[in-house]
Amino acid sequence: MIIMDYVLDYSEINKSFLNRVGGKNANLGEMINKGIRIPPGFAVTTDSYLLFLDRAGIGKEIFKLLAGIDLSKNVMLNDISAQVREMIAAYSVPAEVEEEVLKRYELLCEKCGDKETPVAVRSSATAEDLPTASFAGQQDTYLWVRGKEEVIDAVRRCWASLFTSRAISYRANNNFPHDKVLISVGVQKMVNARSAGVLFTINPSTGDPSQVIIEGSWGLGEAVVSGNVNPDYFMVDKILKDIHCRKIACKTIECLPCSEGRGVEEIDIDPERQTVPCLEDKEIIELVTISRLIEDHYGYPQDIEWAIEKDLPFPENIFILQNRPETVWSQKKRENLLEKKSSRDLLLERATKIIRL
Amino acid sequence: MASDKQFPDPHQYVAEEIPPELEGWEEMYPPHFLFGEDRKDWEKKEFWYLDKIHAPYPMPPLDQIFQQAWQISLSQHTTRIFCIPPAQGVAHRMVGCYQYICAIEPPPEEIIKEKAELFQARAHYPVENYEQLWQEWLTRLQALGGELEAIYVPEELPKYLPAEDVFPNPFKGYAPSYELIEAFDQAVNCMYKGWQYHFNYLNLTYLYYLMFFDVAKKLFPDISDSAISKMVAGAEVSMFRPEEELCKLSRLAHAYPRASDVLKKEAPAAEKMEELKKFDEGKRWLQEMEALKKPWFYISCGSGWYHYEGSWINKLDIPFNYIKNYLERLDRGERIERAYEEISEARDKLVAEYSKLITSEEDRTTFFNAYNDCRTIYKYAEDHLFWVEHWFHTIWFDKMREIGAVIAKFGAIREADDIFMFNRLEVPTLIEDVTTSWSLGEDIPMMKWSEKAEKRKKILDAAANWSPSPALGPAPSEVAEPFTVMLWGVTTDKVDEWLKGTTVEPDKVTEIKGFAASAGLAEGVARVLKKAEHLDELEAGEIMVCPSTNPSWAPALSRVKAAVTDIGGLTSHAAIVSREYGVPSVTGTGIATSVIKTGDLIKVNGDEGTVEIIKKAD
Repeated sequence: MIIMDYVLDYSEINKSFLNRVGGKNANLGEMINKGIRIPPGFAVTTDSYLLFLDRAGIGKEIFKLLAGIDLSKNVMLNDISAQVREMIAAYSVPAEVEEEVLKRYELLCEKCGDKETPVAVRSSATAEDLPTASFAGQQDTYLWVRGKEEVIDAVRRCWASLFTSRAISYRANNNFPHDKVLISVGVQKMVNARSAGVLFTINPSTGDPSQVIIEGSWGLGEAVVSGNVNPDYFMVDKILKDIHCRKIACKTIECLPCSEGRGVEEIDIDPERQTVPCLEDKEIIELVTISRLIEDHYGYPQDIEWAIEKDLPFPENIFILQNRPETVWSQKKRENLLEKKSSRDLLLERATKIIRL
Repeated sequence: MASDKQFPDPHQYVAEEIPPELEGWEEMYPPHFLFGEDRKDWEKKEFWYLDKIHAPYPMPPLDQIFQQAWQISLSQHTTRIFCIPPAQGVAHRMVGCYQYICAIEPPPEEIIKEKAELFQARAHYPVENYEQLWQEWLTRLQALGGELEAIYVPEELPKYLPAEDVFPNPFKGYAPSYELIEAFDQAVNCMYKGWQYHFNYLNLTYLYYLMFFDVAKKLFPDISDSAISKMVAGAEVSMFRPEEELCKLSRLAHAYPRASDVLKKEAPAAEKMEELKKFDEGKRWLQEMEALKKPWFYISCGSGWYHYEGSWINKLDIPFNYIKNYLERLDRGERIERAYEEISEARDKLVAEYSKLITSEEDRTTFFNAYNDCRTIYKYAEDHLFWVEHWFHTIWFDKMREIGAVIAKFGAIREADDIFMFNRLEVPTLIEDVTTSWSLGEDIPMMKWSEKAEKRKKILDAAANWSPSPALGPAPSEVAEPFTVMLWGVTTDKVDEWLKGTTVEPDKVTEIKGFAASAGLAEGVARVLKKAEHLDELEAGEIMVCPSTNPSWAPALSRVKAAVTDIGGLTSHAAIVSREYGVPSVTGTGIATSVIKTGDLIKVNGDEGTVEIIKKAD
């Protein structure tokens, strides 16, 4: 008999679980087992999703519908996407899955001392965060979700988000068969972010592997990821840990939890905070240190989302929310930047060089 | 070839822009250092910029000798000796007591080709035989320094030659008049020869550095300049020896409690030495100190370029204060020595870590080919500095003071140091006037040298309050000369910044730029220290602003929040020591000590090489 794990704690997960927890969750499992601080939580496995499709008996129909899509017809794509998502919304989450999820959620609530601990519920598809295709942002994420019913609902909505128009077309354009892509869901304690953003362990614009680029802004990282705010920019030499370029942006809005603590909203930032750097130097250096551990662990450049928790002291306030391979430069075949040259050749080259001003 | 960026025309600038208080400045320098009619056409098409690295302050006439000597030596090593293909020499002009230099535009194509062949044949021998060549170089320079030091200067021009110098024997056949003439001429010859030696391997060293710089930038396009210099810089270089010797002396004194107590007193060095002579351990300590004074106390308290900076050997209060400071730190159980091994290990680790990021095997091989040769010869850049600019210059300054003292005693100038108010072509005239007057008999008038010296001091003071244009003439569209690139950092950005700032008054400046020598940000109160003697005014947590630093300032750097200097590039000692102490620093600003005042609230950005004056002191 195959033992079905509908839910797995992150500590039980590693990268060999990709098919069962998706790329994002598998990476988070790797992180926690490497001793890197991530928000506590668990993954709802693809087994849960498959069981759901099986119980509802809608799998075949869904894929038949998708097979008939003509991508050039936008209206058709949108219609079928809506139809599929309605089908998913019409069925409830299987009882054994619901039971497992709620058990883990209650444990998390107990640990956090809040019966309605706010969580982030994130999709984690099996074709995602691959070195070849990021699938970044193709499926949904729900932030500041509180309470049992809402958690279950968010899980189901994540499943449905596998069939948004953009997810469908992204798969089709990248030649991923729809029925081979499964979805898992991550449920993690919500970081009450003072600042958040993205970090690259390579300069994505030049491909320089000695630099770490950090972009961040006030509040949740969604404002940075969505491009709704000009983030602060820091370039750090990953070996010397010198912050040798900083561009502090004028940050006008931040993404914060709604006043009742459910869901998020974008709020204007007070003028005096707009040009204050969203990170302290020691936080930047700590982020770089962590990012190097992650990069060394995988052996190739990483794209990392991070957040700084408002209510915790340094360095316990630094959380890694997700990481994935950097896609642009890891795709390029690293050609020789220099040719094989003796120092004689190089010297002559330099000596004959004229620098244009 | 000129770009469309145009700075003031040099001839017009000299005619119209020099403040009236500087009137007479042009008499202070040899005529071929002035812009003028004879070479007007050529002068107008070249680009001239203020040399803030070697000459950020108004130039006392005799101190110009180093500049005069290097114009020839640097340039010939590029053009005639190692034949760096497209590069020509660096020309000088004086404008209102400030030195402007010019990297002359490349020669015709056929010359470049000719030179390229010669260059290939000549450029590798030094790095392949570096250790041996360095030993030979050092022996040569030390011998020359010995020669300079040994030049005999008569104590005075005596009323009558003492009998024993006349008969019975040995009568030299010449008198102190000739000795004075000869002394100066010999000293000048030594100085010119020393500066010939100075550049023996320096042009190549800079080229090798730039070669490695290019390689590193190709592999790591965003790597900072300071990261590259950190990979190359050595820990055990002659420039750090004086400080190291002080640490040893301090350790020794620490083992002799009585000597230690004397050395920790607040008293002048002379007084302490008198006391130390009174007991055995003190005597032993003094002997040790005497033994290493030569050469290690021949280190300038500044950059070595100006006579008034002084050196430890003639300002013993300075090393004695450092020793006091070290003894106090030893009492507290702190380590005082620089950890050479750790520094070298850290550097090697750094190089290993960067090289690990290189994914292609071929690239890594090329990287190390460049790195290893660069490291080998780069030692020259670090080691020659102590021996020429510090040791050799110290001997020179002392010799000049000896000569100056004779002239002052004879009454032509007020004090020995006034000799520095006359350039190296004028001093022979001064000496001849003096010796002639002495020879001719009683009360023979001389020219008014003393008056002239006073006037020139006033001109120099006035020049210190004037900010000349950072550049003159048409900005070039290209540059090939290695020193211009590496040392003076002439880049498009720099030229643009100069264009922006041509007319700003010093007290209106709110931001100054230099080299991003040591990363980090710091905000704090400035303490401007124009001389090493003022180091004890520095309070912990202040930002040190000074003309230049050398390793002898290291004890201070451990106490400051940040450091800013007028002189020095990325590989200057201020930069190296700052990086070791993790103190943010900006070097080579050219104007920090004149623009910033003690008490100003300033912000030092060691990442970008900027200093912002946030609030002026009241």
